[in-house]
Amino acid sequence: MAAPCNEYPANIALRSLLPDREPRKGGISKDLSVSDNAMSVKWTADEARILRVSVGSFLDHLALVLETMEEFGPPLTL
Amino acid sequence: MTVVIGFEGSANKIGVGIVRDGVVLSNPRRTYITPPGQGFLPSETAKHHRGVILTVLKEALQQAGLKPADIDCVAYTKGPGMGAPLVTTALVARTVSQLWGKPLLGVNHCIGHIEMGRLVTRANNPTVLVIALQDIREERLDRARVRICDKLSRKNLVKLRAKIREISPCFCKPFKTIIVPINYHQNGRHSSGGKLPRTGSNPARVIKISNDPSPGYNIEQMAKRGKQYVELPYTVKGMDVSFSGILSYIEEAAHKMLGSRQCTAEDLCFSLQETLFAMLVEITERAMAHCNSQEVLIVGGVGCNLRLQEMMGTMCKERGARLFATDESFCIDNGAMIAQAGWEMFRAGHVTELPDSWITQRFRTDEVEVTWRD
Repeated sequence: MAAPCNEYPANIALRSLLPDREPRKGGISKDLSVSDNAMSVKWTADEARILRVSVGSFLDHLALVLETMEEFGPPLTL
Repeated sequence: MTVVIGFEGSANKIGVGIVRDGVVLSNPRRTYITPPGQGFLPSETAKHHRGVILTVLKEALQQAGLKPADIDCVAYTKGPGMGAPLVTTALVARTVSQLWGKPLLGVNHCIGHIEMGRLVTRANNPTVLVIALQDIREERLDRARVRICDKLSRKNLVKLRAKIREISPCFCKPFKTIIVPINYHQNGRHSSGGKLPRTGSNPARVIKISNDPSPGYNIEQMAKRGKQYVELPYTVKGMDVSFSGILSYIEEAAHKMLGSRQCTAEDLCFSLQETLFAMLVEITERAMAHCNSQEVLIVGGVGCNLRLQEMMGTMCKERGARLFATDESFCIDNGAMIAQAGWEMFRAGHVTELPDSWITQRFRTDEVEVTWRD
């Protein structure tokens, strides 16, 4: 749902990125968190190969979210 | 007045459409076109979508002459479709929903086709034939699962179920819908699930048909020049059609016939269409008989094929029924169809909370609880 308007961008990005699970079942987990306006991501993976795929797609997703926020932000105050 | 913006990106099209109370204000779209004979891969398609989605979104707002503040709800395709392109689309929808402070709404892609078809044709409660190319994952092309969903009484339901094996168990929904996935690029590699039983069955690849603007369109054009009918396997069992025989035939026998010039690629396209569409018309007619329906609505990318519309029209005429079909602007995946289905759902009180806004590659039409139609 709608976020409060005076929200940190990192929180908006977090909520956009959180819902989708890793496509692969098992072998990888990813924890996202935000404190103040900094997002931290912690990966745990069985193999470097799996980690690379996950990090790669996460960065693609993050870039798209950031670009969207730049183009269509800052949050509207109604 | 309710204004809904819809994001669609479940396959190789990316579209954003804006609908205000049954009026399509804008509906820009881009298509990821691959070289002849090649299907589209999920990651490449997602990359294409990432590159253009914000431009398409800006176009949608500009063409509609609206500001974000005018929007009431942000709808997006939750599934079914390819994972990576769906995620791309959902990410932007979630972000703008938060930035603009508007509720988010996940929409089933097939419901989008159906609701858009109803809006454009004003068909009230038709038997619907959804023919989609790439994006219907759980209803496979090989041994296609064809289902009828209908607003039925318990009694009818039992009767129908006895007749139709493939009917879904949970389906008291106001849809009489047959979903047929036709994919001219059927190939295990191109399906996000990678679980299609056959790989390499690919008429468009065997005949090397251009993907610009779409393989289906080019098959239709080539079919017009076909002169000789090559007999292809015709498999209809009750409500169930099977295309696997056609696929292996085209791959093996027809390939040899092409090589020895016994037939042309045009002849094959012609024969492919005649056979496939005859099967579709047959099961549609059966569905109409089961459901006592006097209206047919064809939606989905293949739905804009004029030969299919012609054949369906002949059948309808014989039954005294009416045929509804739309052109390519609304048949082929687009943002407005998601906006329109979203408009109906939003007005009926549906919203999707952010934590529940995950996408899903498999999303059966009859999983959707329909609350916006009597």
